Amino acid sequence: MRRREYVALVLPSVLVMFGLLVVPLYRTIEWSLQKVTYGSPGSFAGVSNYTSALTDPRFGRAVVFTVGLTVVATAILVVGGYILACMVNALRRTRPLVLGVLLISYVLPQIVGATMFSWLFDTNFGGVAEYLLHVVTGQEVHWFTSAWPNRIILVLNVVWAALPFAMLMIMAGLQGVSNDMIEAAEIDGVSRIQLHWHVIIPSIKAIVGFVALISIMDILRVFDQLIPLSPQAVQLGNESITLYIYNVAFQNGGQNLGLGSAVNVLLMVIIMIMLSPFIIGLLREARKP
Amino acid sequence: MTIDVATPPVDQHPQTAVRKSGPDRRRGKGWLIGGFLFIICLAMLSPILWTAASVTKPTNVAFLNPPVFFYHPTFQSFVDLWQTTDFYRYLINTLIIAVISTAAALIIGVPAAYGLSRFRGWTSAILLILALIFRSLPRFSIVLPMYDLSKTLGVYDTRFAMVVALVAINQPFSIWLLRNFFAEIPQELDEAALLDGCSRFQVLRRIMLPLMGPGILTAGIFMFLFAFQEYLTALILTDVNAKTVPVFIATQLGQTLPMLQQAGAAAMLLTLPVIAFAFIAQRYLVAGLNSGSVKG
Repeated sequence: MRRREYVALVLPSVLVMFGLLVVPLYRTIEWSLQKVTYGSPGSFAGVSNYTSALTDPRFGRAVVFTVGLTVVATAILVVGGYILACMVNALRRTRPLVLGVLLISYVLPQIVGATMFSWLFDTNFGGVAEYLLHVVTGQEVHWFTSAWPNRIILVLNVVWAALPFAMLMIMAGLQGVSNDMIEAAEIDGVSRIQLHWHVIIPSIKAIVGFVALISIMDILRVFDQLIPLSPQAVQLGNESITLYIYNVAFQNGGQNLGLGSAVNVLLMVIIMIMLSPFIIGLLREARKP
Repeated sequence: MTIDVATPPVDQHPQTAVRKSGPDRRRGKGWLIGGFLFIICLAMLSPILWTAASVTKPTNVAFLNPPVFFYHPTFQSFVDLWQTTDFYRYLINTLIIAVISTAAALIIGVPAAYGLSRFRGWTSAILLILALIFRSLPRFSIVLPMYDLSKTLGVYDTRFAMVVALVAINQPFSIWLLRNFFAEIPQELDEAALLDGCSRFQVLRRIMLPLMGPGILTAGIFMFLFAFQEYLTALILTDVNAKTVPVFIATQLGQTLPMLQQAGAAAMLLTLPVIAFAFIAQRYLVAGLNSGSVKG
């Protein structure tokens, strides 16, 4: 392909990315160094936004909460996704049906899924899960007003929404595992667990890693679910980093736009660091002839 | 738990002396897995099933505690939703924004992905990496400046602003998906057509596009899905005129009972096509997840 043709094909996409992503990003970085509100030019404030973010205990809590949620939910997603993928992969006739049912929570807008989820637990809306739990255990759980129960339903909802993705990716990996290897292992008389642990899991390591990477990146940015599921997020210490940005940089006219932008930049740096092994891999591949 | 990866059933337990016990045991295991999967499916569906029940109850018992399990179903909340709110308008907004932003992302993304799949060099690698980075940026780092800009330009709360924002946000991912589909088409095809006197653009239009049908459909489905699901961007960039259904449902949450039940009805109206979609488009969703994201 000649260079001129290549440029013509790629140019519209590059222009859109530059004009609509790079320019706003530049703005965010600029704001992060300013004392600023919407619609008016800001005044340079050095790194004061960064220092006030890093010394704000509320931001610290948001980071701890978000990272905790990410770690727990990602672990459940990878393990659960693997087990589920093995089971669904063994199905024959019923597979499209089961896949269809399992895909629904992935296709639904997250805010809608989380809203429906909240009605399972909220006694004000006749939450059936809370009611059944109450009947069985005789205990009343305040899912929305005490910190840990609220965290449990948040983890459940995050897993609920992302499990189909994890399962599908791992299932694709399972289909690529060579049958010869499995047969050879079976002839050698390994147990089921050994077969999974020593044969199958090592050969789909790359995909499991990728599932973990995507889950981590997505859950670090969690926002939608918290609106219906954690109306008291700030008081409970269940505020995610993105919700923190929203609260300080948009609600009530965005008095702290500079602070929010600084947090945006910090989050960006964290995500870039997490992506770096993947990016280095891509660069290495590109250098090959 | 079995990994039944097309192993001939007889060979599975060569050392079992009594062959008869083999199939029986496997059948038992099959039932166990089946039962487990059934429970998982039920659990995954439970929020939807419960909402479906809640919105078909008469309003006075809809959200009672302890919950009412037996009632005379009614569709009054759907009628109310349609008559007393602007749901219809929000639905139209959601669909128009999703369709136009999908089309625009594809029109921009298809040639770019083709170029990237055929031109090897450091610029291609850099562009792909940029696309990956843009896909994973914190959403507010893009959307808040867009909010500011849209207010300055006077396009705040218009479908236009939403479409532009969604094209910007989702287009990088479409390049990833499409490039992998293009990469699977052998380059010899292009070269043969070029030798026959086609120009690059003719190759793209006459040879690649027909071959890429399923790939473009897959990318289109994902773009549509992302646009249709988007809450955060719509929350920031819309107010009244361009409001979408997810934002509408979220704002109804703070309301009292009849409106809440209507929010549930709206959620169900959005869910039913999604269920149909999960079954009809299953093949493309699976193909897209497999090829778009796994392979570098």
